[in-house]
Amino acid sequence: MYDLLWLVPALPALGFVLLALAGPRLPRAAAAVVGVGSVGASAAVTLGLAAIFLASPPPDHAFTQRLWTWMAAGNFQADFALRLDPLSLLMLVVITFVGFLIHLYSVEFMRDDDGFARFFAYMNLFVASMATLVLGANLLLLYLGWEGVGLCSYLLIGFWYKDPANGRAGRKAFVVTRVGDTAMAIGLLLLVRELGTLDIAELLRRAAATWEPGSTMAVAAAALLLGGALGKSAQLPLQVWLPDAMAGPTPTSALIHAATMVTAGVYLIARTHVLFELAPAVQLSVAFIGVATLLLAGCSALVQRDIKRVLAYSTISQIGYMFLALGVGAWTAAMFHFMTHAFFKALLFLAAGIVIEALHHEHDIFRMGGLRQRLPIAFWAFAAGGAALAGLPLVTSGFYSKDAIVWAAYAGPLGNGAFWALAALGVLVTSLYTFRLIFLVFFGEPRGEIGHRPGWAMSVPVIILAVLSVVAGFVSVPQTLGGFHPLDDFLAPVLPATGHHERGGFTEAASQVLTALAFGTGLVAAWMLFLRRRDVAARIAASPLGQAVGRLWREGWGFDWLYERVLVRPIVALASAGRGDLVDLPFEAAGRAAFALHVAASATQTGRLRWYAAGLAGGSLAAVAIALFL
Amino acid sequence: MLMSLEVMLNAAGLAFVAAGGRWAQADGQVMFLFVLSVAAAEVAVGLALVLRLYKRTLSLDADAASRLRG
Amino acid sequence: MNAEALRALLPLLVLAATPLAVMMGIAVRRHHGTAMALSALGQAAALAATWSGPETASGAGGALLIADAFSHYYWSLLLAASLAVTLLGYGFWRTSEERAEEFYLLVPVATLGSAVLVASTHLATLFLGLEILSVSLFGLVAYERGRAASLEAGLKYLVLSSAASAFLLFGMALVYAETGALEFRHIASAAGRPILLIAGAALMVAGLGFKLSLVPFHLWTPDVYQGAPAPASAFIATVSKGGVLGLLVRFFAQGGAGDLPGALALVSVIALASMWVGNLLALLQSNLKRLLAYSSIAHLGYMLVALVVGGPAGAEAATFYLTAYVATIVAAFAVVTLLSTAPREAEWVEDYRGLFWRRPPVGAALSAALLSLAGIPLTAGFLGKLLVIAAGVSALLWTLVLSVAVTSTIGLYYYLRVIVAIYSPASADEAPRLAAAPLAAAALAAAVAAIVWLGIYPAAVLDAIREASASLARLSS
Repeated sequence: MYDLLWLVPALPALGFVLLALAGPRLPRAAAAVVGVGSVGASAAVTLGLAAIFLASPPPDHAFTQRLWTWMAAGNFQADFALRLDPLSLLMLVVITFVGFLIHLYSVEFMRDDDGFARFFAYMNLFVASMATLVLGANLLLLYLGWEGVGLCSYLLIGFWYKDPANGRAGRKAFVVTRVGDTAMAIGLLLLVRELGTLDIAELLRRAAATWEPGSTMAVAAAALLLGGALGKSAQLPLQVWLPDAMAGPTPTSALIHAATMVTAGVYLIARTHVLFELAPAVQLSVAFIGVATLLLAGCSALVQRDIKRVLAYSTISQIGYMFLALGVGAWTAAMFHFMTHAFFKALLFLAAGIVIEALHHEHDIFRMGGLRQRLPIAFWAFAAGGAALAGLPLVTSGFYSKDAIVWAAYAGPLGNGAFWALAALGVLVTSLYTFRLIFLVFFGEPRGEIGHRPGWAMSVPVIILAVLSVVAGFVSVPQTLGGFHPLDDFLAPVLPATGHHERGGFTEAASQVLTALAFGTGLVAAWMLFLRRRDVAARIAASPLGQAVGRLWREGWGFDWLYERVLVRPIVALASAGRGDLVDLPFEAAGRAAFALHVAASATQTGRLRWYAAGLAGGSLAAVAIALFL
Repeated sequence: MLMSLEVMLNAAGLAFVAAGGRWAQADGQVMFLFVLSVAAAEVAVGLALVLRLYKRTLSLDADAASRLRG
Repeated sequence: MNAEALRALLPLLVLAATPLAVMMGIAVRRHHGTAMALSALGQAAALAATWSGPETASGAGGALLIADAFSHYYWSLLLAASLAVTLLGYGFWRTSEERAEEFYLLVPVATLGSAVLVASTHLATLFLGLEILSVSLFGLVAYERGRAASLEAGLKYLVLSSAASAFLLFGMALVYAETGALEFRHIASAAGRPILLIAGAALMVAGLGFKLSLVPFHLWTPDVYQGAPAPASAFIATVSKGGVLGLLVRFFAQGGAGDLPGALALVSVIALASMWVGNLLALLQSNLKRLLAYSSIAHLGYMLVALVVGGPAGAEAATFYLTAYVATIVAAFAVVTLLSTAPREAEWVEDYRGLFWRRPPVGAALSAALLSLAGIPLTAGFLGKLLVIAAGVSALLWTLVLSVAVTSTIGLYYYLRVIVAIYSPASADEAPRLAAAPLAAAALAAAVAAIVWLGIYPAAVLDAIREASASLARLSS
């Protein structure tokens, strides 16, 4: 059964090939069957593998399938090899299963789109690339998948290419993530050069054996990989592309820009956690970046008007939590939050898609309202997803996963009180913006008329995800509430358990109570400000300070503005001033020389037979001369 | 032109015969027979092509056909 | 000659019978489709015979021919290419006024010459194979009687090719005069390295270099590629060059040429010159067929690098590169054929502007072929270059390896130029409706599949090539 592993990336890839070649000629129904079916089959295989893995794990809790040797030259060998271990299995289950639900949802969501087959082709390619990324046993495959998902993200953000703004958003995402990718590529090359192997497991073993903790090489490698992770996962300072990426179709936002691709950075760090443990300084900076990102993005989410941008900032903020968990050494907590986040954020995006469609593509939450009775399914989905996002104590998955992170921020190997306080503040902010969204959209007086109501293809995925958003948390229940943690046990072979160190006085229970209080405060504040006394909220927003802060937050803390001034314009200016600059001269000269040589060489092609024959004879003489005298 | 080709091929053939003489083997002469027959085949095709060229350009100049260049 | 030897040589026999069958077919009834079908069937049968035939290391062809793993590999490669050309031909001539039946006669004859060439172990078979190939090529190149360009190309090819044959013959005569041997292994074991032998080897390299269109014997290439009908150009680029390259690999390994220092120096110089001149000539070329001609000069230069390395590694790299190149060139010329009708060929880069938007699969296929020529990862061309460079590095041939790298970069420029044209917005006015050519399209699909397959999963083919190269070494020792 494990031998079927290759099917997981291969099936969606096959779907892509079919759709790309025959797409425009296929009837919609056939395209949908191919698009959804390939991912569905892939998900079925994954679930089967997971069942077997749980029942009887392979030796060493890892199964490597070596498909074939891609290239070999001297010592250098690159295989097409897939590696299934608890970490990649967890990622894979989420990717294919959530991916399948979102594909199903898209059948209805995209039903009237001209690019129906094209959309599914890209989505299938994405699932295939993401599976390759996660399963790749060596850096080359990982990088292939990494670039593949980047490409799909670019294609899907700019999916409605007729609007130039969408194309711009796609390009921005591509360029910004490219900054990170370049760092990561350098990091990978560094690792290969220093450790002499491409195989990830072997690489980590050698790194742990040869590098001292804190040695320059380990720090450099970890820092470069972190650069790649920051770009893909939209963390400070490379977070600017994700809000604009919402220009893509909503299912894309749900799958790529919430559930899976943006968490590739988290996966990368978790996968190479050995390196980060060897470079404590870099690991600590992961925690700093995480905590800063989660607060800044949370504040930005508080003032957005576009429903999808709220969710986008919220995604950045939640991934900030995952980075915080990685940074303090709570590897399992990060993966736990990745899983629950994939469920509830995909749910929120899909529900938002229902709302947007029902209101004739209205994105502004201030023009919505009172949808509770008119779109009950969207409301209940939002209620479940929002509660999980904000961390409603005891019953939602988000509570358990976030609570694990908040507690680790204090008690984890690299945790401290400040991290705890900021993480808890983040809970308050999260609760506030989540319920602001819910109250504005679903309560208050009804506005706008309802167009399309969701059919079964859109409802079923939403219901399944809603259920998962609630129950998925019970796979890791903290000690204080009973202590049931199969997830941690499952991941233990790959990710070391978090060593909590008790510092007297402050206990996990206290942390939980305070987190719950933060959640409650946010909820009540949102209820006061956005439902009961809207005038107060309006007054705050209208005050000079409120206006300034609101503007700053709305613009994402001015990062775009800053980059525009500090990076984009100088570079453009340099580039235009740089024409004819000294630096260019050698390149220009080489180019000109090539052209001149081309002209000279072309002159020999006279088309005259006599000249050609003379060339032949002369050449033969020269050949004899060379052979004799060299 | 075709005559020159013939001369070149026969020169090589002659060299084969001479070399065969040196080693007192028949191989050289066998090769010469091969050369002769192949030369005949080449010239036959060549004549056909030259005829068509003459029909088209009314000239036997080797450079008459030089439209393909660059 | 026993039954086993007969079976080992079966591909050649089937291939030799094919033209006879086609000729009979034409005599009975002159019909385009029938002639094509007969010819294709014969070649397919020969291909099947190659795969099923036993491998006998010696004895099958006496002193003249050998049917070892190396021959078998090259036979299947050449037959696959010629089969593809036959299918292309059917697409190309479908709209022509010209009587095209003899085309299907000449293709198997020329392929037979090429197949004899790669299996030859004796100067006589070398010469015969080469001439069977050349004389039928004259006919193929000049086949389009109605077009002046085709005639001109045929004439040029005939005169120059015969002159090159004369050089080759003279070289052979010198070698014979010095060593008294015509068999490769006897030549190799001849004592001493006297002047006559070196000069003879040099002249032979010159004569063969002409067929491979290596600098400085390359001048004919663009004119012939441009003038010949597209399938014939594809044939020259694949079957003809493949056969001669296979022979060179064998001759260097078994004929002792690889041990002559002068010959190695000569081949190195030729390889260098071919890489540079070929890529520079292609730089601003606006005719796709000429561009492919110039790029073929450069690619043969890359293959020669592997030849200079010598040994099993070199033979392996050269053979894999050739395999990749054959698949790629078949794809490229298949696109040219698909977009051409006999009197008016789509040969200018301008004709391909916006191709992707007009016919997406064809545009994508041509892009795949060009990317493979440029050596982009995940295509066959990339792995070919990788193997050549790895072989060069292991033999410490830094000048050659550096040249491969630098000139490949130059090459990127003109391949990308065509790709840009393919994807730029289409000009609205011209979109000629072309009759469908399902067989040529099938050949194109197969070639593109081969490019991708070799690019991602080369292991199977590499194993076969390794075996073939090993058989080469076994005999020479």
